[in-house]
Amino acid sequence: MNPLGEKYLRKEFLPFLFCPGCGDGMIVQAFLQAVDDLGCIDDLALTAGIGCSAWIGVYMNVDILKVLHGRAIPAAIGLKATQPSRKVVTFTGDGDCLAIGGNHLLHAARRNIDMTVVMVNNQIYAMTGGQVAPSTVVGSKTQTTPYGNIEKQLDGCKIALAAGATMVSRWSTAHLKPLIKTFKNALNHKGFSYIEIMSQCPVQTGRYLLGSGSPQFNLQWLKDHCVKEEDPSRWLEVESQGKIPVGDFLRIEQPEFMEEVQRMNQRVKEEQGKGGDR
Amino acid sequence: MKNAEKIEIDRRYCKGCMLCKYICPCDVFEPGQTRSDLDYLMPQPIRIENCRVCGLCESNCPDMVLTVFAKEKRKENQ
Ligand SMILES: Cc1ncc(C[n+]2csc(CCOP(=O)(O)OP(=O)(O)O)c2C)c(N)n1
Ligand code: SF4
Ligand code: SF4
Ligand SMILES: [Mg+2]
Repeated sequence: MNPLGEKYLRKEFLPFLFCPGCGDGMIVQAFLQAVDDLGCIDDLALTAGIGCSAWIGVYMNVDILKVLHGRAIPAAIGLKATQPSRKVVTFTGDGDCLAIGGNHLLHAARRNIDMTVVMVNNQIYAMTGGQVAPSTVVGSKTQTTPYGNIEKQLDGCKIALAAGATMVSRWSTAHLKPLIKTFKNALNHKGFSYIEIMSQCPVQTGRYLLGSGSPQFNLQWLKDHCVKEEDPSRWLEVESQGKIPVGDFLRIEQPEFMEEVQRMNQRVKEEQGKGGDR
Repeated sequence: MKNAEKIEIDRRYCKGCMLCKYICPCDVFEPGQTRSDLDYLMPQPIRIENCRVCGLCESNCPDMVLTVFAKEKRKENQ
């Protein structure tokens, strides 16, 4: 175990349940590096849904709520409401976040709730054996689309941007350095941060979508296909070449939900104190 | 230039994915013949003299099993 692992992992849960060469373990390490740089491990509280990616937070020696498939974001909202001093982080997958949990993403982003969503996009339902996900590219053959996927893809970053998230980034496991920096910004961001990470799943995505189960091939695929483009007006062009835009897309400050609730309560109390007839 | 004293691979958790071999810019690793406790063939840092202690293998290892130890710096005239 490397020193970062020695310091922060739950030893009794090892080894990671991830397959050899899976990107999820790289994300565990990148996230812990960001936490170590900030020295904020004691401030964290995590939630996770169901899927391989949902296990990322389980290995960290941090309080975690592991909840129903798709419900990691509402659990995080409840956690933030009751533990406002904690930095709340949700680990979720493309299926967990965009399919069964898609509605929660919309409304947490819209309310600008002070939390970070780490969405691990391997373009498939990996844990259950490689079924089509909303993030799966058109034409892909998966377990549930043996004749090719005919459904259009859903882009989590575009959804988060449209719904009102105040921080949106996408990186990949081939971009660990900028990813760690983005994690640090997200952990310090007051508001809703959506961080998507394109991650290799050699076993399902690799075999079914990309034609190779080799970890090296799958990481190289990400390196070749994820191109830095932070200007949304150029995304169509990037996507038309079969590539995926990555980068830090948005970081702005806007009123945050939990603070607005407090402010409203304060205002109502003051008004009632003045002897209004409510 | 920095050199490595040793490169440790934790045999309890290594899954032999060989991403360290792919990541390393200095061609330090080759697949070895020793099996980890999880029964995977482990990489071996057979060209450790090439290592520049960049840390990429350590930070990219999906099971966090790899540790690179730098050689203590010696004075020029020693
Ligand atoms: C309510 C419910 N429906 C379906 C499942 C089965 N299930 C488990 S994980 C999963 C998909 C996970 O995909 P994703 O979120 O992309 O995670 P990955 O394994 O790819 O990291 C599904 C459909 C479940 N556990 N609960
Ligand atoms: S099935 Fe894919 S995502 Fe899940 S642990 Fe294996 S390689 Fe990783
Ligand atoms: S530290 Fe860098 S040079 Fe040394 S073995 Fe690891 S990847 Fe190669
Ligand atoms: Mg997935």
